[in-house]
Amino acid sequence: MNPVVGLAAFAAVSLATAVIGFYGLRISRTTGDFYVASRTVKPWWNASAIGGEYLSAASFLGVAGLILLSGTDALWFPVGYTAGYLMLLLFVAAPLRRSGAYTIPDFTEARLDSRAVRRVTSLVVVTVGWLYIVPQLHGAALAIRITTGLPVWVGPVAVVAVVCATVVAGGMRSITFVQAFQYWLKLTALAVPVLFIVFVLAGNGTPAVAEAAVNPNGAPPAGTYQTVSLLVALLFGTLGLPHVLVRFYTNPDGHSARRTTLIVLGLLSVFYLFPTAYGLIGRMLTPDLAHSGQADALVLLLPGRMVGGPAGDLLSALVVAGAFAAFLSTTSGLVVSLAGVISQDVLGGSVRGFRLAALISALVPLGIASLTESLALAGSVGLVFAFTASTICPVLLLGIWWRGLTDAGAIAGMVTGGVLCGGAMVAGSVLSGTGTPAWLAQPAAWTVPAAFAVMVLVSRATKGRVPRTMTRLMTRLHTPERPLATRR
Amino acid sequence: MTRVRVTAPRTAALPVAPSATAAREAAEESDAGQVFVRSLIRSQLRLGLVVAGGFLLILLAFPLLLGLAPGLAESTVAGLPFDWVLLGAGIYPVIGLSAWLYVRTAARNESRYRDLVGDK
Repeated sequence: MNPVVGLAAFAAVSLATAVIGFYGLRISRTTGDFYVASRTVKPWWNASAIGGEYLSAASFLGVAGLILLSGTDALWFPVGYTAGYLMLLLFVAAPLRRSGAYTIPDFTEARLDSRAVRRVTSLVVVTVGWLYIVPQLHGAALAIRITTGLPVWVGPVAVVAVVCATVVAGGMRSITFVQAFQYWLKLTALAVPVLFIVFVLAGNGTPAVAEAAVNPNGAPPAGTYQTVSLLVALLFGTLGLPHVLVRFYTNPDGHSARRTTLIVLGLLSVFYLFPTAYGLIGRMLTPDLAHSGQADALVLLLPGRMVGGPAGDLLSALVVAGAFAAFLSTTSGLVVSLAGVISQDVLGGSVRGFRLAALISALVPLGIASLTESLALAGSVGLVFAFTASTICPVLLLGIWWRGLTDAGAIAGMVTGGVLCGGAMVAGSVLSGTGTPAWLAQPAAWTVPAAFAVMVLVSRATKGRVPRTMTRLMTRLHTPERPLATRR
Repeated sequence: MTRVRVTAPRTAALPVAPSATAAREAAEESDAGQVFVRSLIRSQLRLGLVVAGGFLLILLAFPLLLGLAPGLAESTVAGLPFDWVLLGAGIYPVIGLSAWLYVRTAARNESRYRDLVGDK
């Protein structure tokens, strides 16, 4: 691929991100603007921004790559990513908005009236955020290497630099516009090349499509346990992701939080048709990419292979731009939410503290990413979902729906889930050479129930610690805002 | 233009409620008010569980259908293999429909609650 194409695409996306970021800077004036855009973002904007932030390297590159590798088994990934939002809508969206909290630690502290719970939750949130940024940076390394031939560290460093510049300059208000723009960019970047490819195929006379259903590389099909465990992780992991949750505070009220989520589900459903199409076309026509270990680069390479000449270069530039939009948007969303947590807990909540925290939140994962090897992108993000599902998800679900939750129960449950799932992840990566057993490779099916069980049992045993503010909090979480309050 | 120093509340957990909301919260914390609140929470939770359960059943039915009728996976829809169409595209409308039903019913539960507590 022509290296100029990749560099030009990356420069264009970075420039657009910066311009929109600085345009937004003119509107953000108060700390409230910085943290949650003053909760006045319109549902369509907000939904596009949520979609833009959620669709990460795993969705843009990883899903197609995994479909190329393992066929219909991998179709559960986009289904799980989308259905996770359904669970978020059903159990979390409106009550969390009504809690009035800025971040997940704010929520758990208010609900359980305990500083200790706040500290544990902050720790978990920061861990999840850092784990989730690392695959984005691996994706950036892959994309820069494939498209320009530059050394692998260039991609992650460039992404972190652009993210820090935008976040430090503009805070959340401009981030909303940037993210919304990046959703539509990502959709266009996948859709236009696929339509071109289909045209070209139709002109050439295609091979029979049904052949694609057979495994080109003979990968063994995933067992029922693995599929179920993956779905548990994706369904329950989404509702605990810190950068997803912080978005809900930007809705004016609980009802609009639900409407926003409904729109997001539509946007995600449309988006995921395209990585699926890339995967299917890749299986039919370029199965060699699976053998050469370049599956995650399928989306980047396919347009150039199928469409030659300058048109192919243009289409390649478009997908590269979309890929960078994916790395930038997810990373900046995570950095904003982590910076919110770190600055509130450690640095006193000022704007300067927020900026410093943003730098910390971006530089630590850069260090981790430069020390680790890239696994299959969709797979490593799947593990982060499993970790979130075993820690943040139980405390959110029980905190919102169960009056009996106590601070002791919440801490015990989060620690149990974190240790079990984190242990499985470490053990799995140590064993990866010799073949990891399924229950370690996909731990969610047993770590999530374990975390729930410990949380419930310890809460039962410490009934006296149910906070006195509980009734008031539960009322606030679940009763609709006064119509007067929403009109203001 | 003057520069204004802006800071976040140290514990930003819950902003101070305006007095109208405080009066309403007092009414809701009375025993009678809590009866309505509890019934609202129960009906919202039941709704969420029913929609989630229904969706998961349909999700489960998809692979079962493919497993029980092996010929089905090999058949094609508009030139594409049926199992790909079912898993790759067919589940999304089910998700959207479940979500739409939930949002409608949840809003209805809330307006019923508003009627009960006399909010206008």
